[in-house]
Amino acid sequence: MYILKNAIISIMRNKSRNILIGIVVLVIGCATAVTLSIRNSAEVLVNSYISKNEITASISMNRQNFNKNMQQDDSNLEEMQTKFQEISSLTKEEIESYGDSEYVSNYYYTYNLSMNSNIDKAESTSNSNMPNNMQEDRMKNQEEGDFTIIGYSSYSSMSEFINGSYTITSGEVSEDFTANNCVINSQLATLNNLEIGDIITIINPNNDDLTYEFVITGIFTENSTDNSMNMFDNSVNSIITNNVAVEKMINDDDEIKARITPTFILTSQNDIDNFTAELTDKGLNEYYQVTTNLDEINAEINSVSNLSNFATAFLIVTLVIGGIVLLVLNMINVRERKYEIGVLRTIGMKKNLVITKFVSELLIVSITALLLGCAIGSLMSVSIANNLLKNEVESASAEKTNISKNFGKGDMNEPPTMNIMQKNSIDYVTTIDATVDFKVLKELLIIGIALTLVSSIITMINISKFSPLTILKERT
Amino acid sequence: MKILKLENVSYKYADGNEYVLKDINFEFYKGKTYAVKGRSGSGKTTLLSLISGLEKCSEGNIYFGEKNLKNIDLDRYRSNNIGIVFQSFNLLPHLTGIENIILSMDISKVNILDKRATAIELLKSVGLDETIGNRRILKLSGGEQQRVAIARSLSYNPEIIIADEPTGNLDHETENEIMKIFERLAKVERKCIIIVTHSKNVSQQVDNVFELKKHK
Repeated sequence: MYILKNAIISIMRNKSRNILIGIVVLVIGCATAVTLSIRNSAEVLVNSYISKNEITASISMNRQNFNKNMQQDDSNLEEMQTKFQEISSLTKEEIESYGDSEYVSNYYYTYNLSMNSNIDKAESTSNSNMPNNMQEDRMKNQEEGDFTIIGYSSYSSMSEFINGSYTITSGEVSEDFTANNCVINSQLATLNNLEIGDIITIINPNNDDLTYEFVITGIFTENSTDNSMNMFDNSVNSIITNNVAVEKMINDDDEIKARITPTFILTSQNDIDNFTAELTDKGLNEYYQVTTNLDEINAEINSVSNLSNFATAFLIVTLVIGGIVLLVLNMINVRERKYEIGVLRTIGMKKNLVITKFVSELLIVSITALLLGCAIGSLMSVSIANNLLKNEVESASAEKTNISKNFGKGDMNEPPTMNIMQKNSIDYVTTIDATVDFKVLKELLIIGIALTLVSSIITMINISKFSPLTILKERT
Repeated sequence: MKILKLENVSYKYADGNEYVLKDINFEFYKGKTYAVKGRSGSGKTTLLSLISGLEKCSEGNIYFGEKNLKNIDLDRYRSNNIGIVFQSFNLLPHLTGIENIILSMDISKVNILDKRATAIELLKSVGLDETIGNRRILKLSGGEQQRVAIARSLSYNPEIIIADEPTGNLDHETENEIMKIFERLAKVERKCIIIVTHSKNVSQQVDNVFELKKHK
């Protein structure tokens, strides 16, 4: 106890020396706090991106593989078409089987169905009114309708609205994914003079007696620019509804064929290979391939990850330089205080107690300065980290607002129904909390104590080496 | 009562062959004052270092009571059994006189309830009041510092007090006052006082004088 008491007295009575050490540690603490905060903020942002962008897996045709095999088998065009039709659509049962996996946290799917309607279709200069990915896969064994009916199972599956390809300009995407509601392209609405609340009739192209009435709840525009040579949007003849409504149409007519596109949300990116292997075991055709959004996510978090790496490198440099400066200061400190060491040893203080006294002094000064540096650093780090990560925050915030608008939900921060309809709702970052939290404080204290003890090694060596008599003789 | 015995004590530096001290035999008793004289380089301070346990003798033995210094904890010996007063005082300058004394008590782990009151009493016994005791060492005169050093050496009530030229930096009047304190410590408190000195005045005031001659 008296060691601590004397250490405190010594600190208070030797202010200039301790202030010098304190300033060095304060600067180290400040720089470390800022760096740790930036690193932690970057990690928070990366984790936020990862949680926001769930790892999704889709099943798509491996056309290259298909064509290559067909050419090797010398198949003619007709055989290729037959084979293609056999495998070109997954069934709902297959998708449910694939979705029933320990590697899948959730899944959804989209129906595409060709139907007629009581309204006029837009005569596009393009050869199709279907989305591009559907054009080559059209069904050949059925009457072709004028319109593409797209049935979504949830908000999550409406990727065109999430990525901004489609934006609601009037009304909204209905929250009710079981009712006969629909949203249509604004060009189709203009062509047929349709408004929100109007009812359109969908007609089975194989049987005109099978009709379905849909209420228009929203009108959207297509923002893609790849149809600049066409008069109309690619989606002009698309009628977007829910999967329950589409399944009713399918159930009413065995002949009608629908294409189902599944999306599986995986529990972790480490499960991609396992999930792929499981699908193969469950009988997924060799001409299908599993694709994921991993590359897109990695590309998105790359800049932030680099910032985190830079912060870590800066932290190491700061600590090394700071450690060296502290080491030198300690050497000078011990040389200055040789006399004190000599007196203490002469009046019988044991070496280990002298070392304890000196290290205690250094620890008290260091930890006090470190906490002060931490406080200053935490104040600085908020603005520094937020500035550095400003673009990412703004884009994330803007994205969140835009998605709400795309669904016709106005400027609300988050459509309430998205939480209800989705198991894994999208969690967007609105601000970076770059303050020095408990984790940073703990890291700082560990670093500070370690740095102090390392720089005290020279003190310990010198004290244990000094002979009290020699010191006092030198003084005399 | 015999308190210290030197038996064939010899000392030479680790890096030299020449003896600084050779075959010293002497006995010190409680209640007596001793002066160790000798020319510069005769080994007075070395002898003092050996007695105080700051150095170990190359040959021979030093006994504190019945205990050989070679076999005891010398840190504990210095902090409890022997008080050392230096010519240059060797007080901690960032502390006050009272704090220097209390620190010495803390190191010796002596069982005193009110260390501050005891420190003030000790200062009074060497002629200093509390006001002076509350001053930092650097604000004290040489005589005052030496008195604080003596008070510190008494703080854990050691049997032996050794002093290396304690009056070397002091004027004649102060020297006499310091010597009176040593005299009282020997005669009243039954301490063994060993003083290394060049001063004739000091030599005249002690019970025993022995002179070291340079070894040839």
